[in-house]
Amino acid sequence: MIRASKAAAVGIILGVTMLLPMVGHTDDKDVVDYRQHIMKSLEHQTAVLGQILSGAGPAENTLAHMETLALTASVALKSFEAKVPGGAAKPEVWKDWADFSKRMKEFAEKSAEMAKVGREQGVDQAAMLVIEALPCKGCHDVYRDEKKI
Amino acid sequence: MFSEGNVLNRTTALPRLAWAGIAFVGTLLPISSFADDQDVRDYRSHIMKTMGEQFAALNQISKGKVPAADVATQAEVLRITAGVAKVAFTPKVLGGEAKPEVWDKWDDFSKRLDELVAAATDVSKAAKQGGVAAVTPKLSSLSCKGCHDVYRVQKK
Repeated sequence: MIRASKAAAVGIILGVTMLLPMVGHTDDKDVVDYRQHIMKSLEHQTAVLGQILSGAGPAENTLAHMETLALTASVALKSFEAKVPGGAAKPEVWKDWADFSKRMKEFAEKSAEMAKVGREQGVDQAAMLVIEALPCKGCHDVYRDEKKI
Repeated sequence: MFSEGNVLNRTTALPRLAWAGIAFVGTLLPISSFADDQDVRDYRSHIMKTMGEQFAALNQISKGKVPAADVATQAEVLRITAGVAKVAFTPKVLGGEAKPEVWDKWDDFSKRLDELVAAATDVSKAAKQGGVAAVTPKLSSLSCKGCHDVYRVQKK
């Protein structure tokens, strides 16, 4: 019985050890860097969409930027799943994970809907969804440390 | 208005986006235009920085440092963004990090951008079909340095 338990314990440790590389994060800095690449890319994409919608950018690129926003939003939450404080992320991200992840899922869903409407009904229709699709400030006010940007 | 060297100004970017969405509905995408020269510089800066972030993310993925599952998404964002880059440089507006050579040697610059789009498309296709293993050997085809050495103002 004891031998079986030891074997099971060793098996679990080995299993966890083998699974870690599949998760892919090698160290904390990589985790922080990766999520920062994603969030900064989102910032730039949001800025260009803002330029276009205010008549200060090339309108023919509207759908392209809606598509990239939706794609990037779809991987954003995952980049925060590893609980690694640092960068501009406040500890509240993980302390209030249920709320944070709910907001990020909504962001991904609504930006995907915006891009879909843009493809299927045209970007003028999709533009009506922009404000709802990109609720950046509401989330940043709670979960981002402005001093660390 | 975004200011040069501070393109991530959140206090102006988000309100601008908010009212712009409302104003936009009535405009129905009339023209390909920029309001002024600073808008041109800001737009192309955002485009190039987006590509920089995407390329960095892909590099991390190819080195096994972050989730491999994201590779197709990151590569597709890079492909789409590369596809709009030429529009960002078409107006001849000097400044930012772009050297005057961009427009002095437009044929060469433009050809290099076309090559970038082709390479990014190839990487995106490889990512969808073969994942990280297929992407890694192709990342060198996206080498930014060759073009930056000639056309970008070097940071001091």
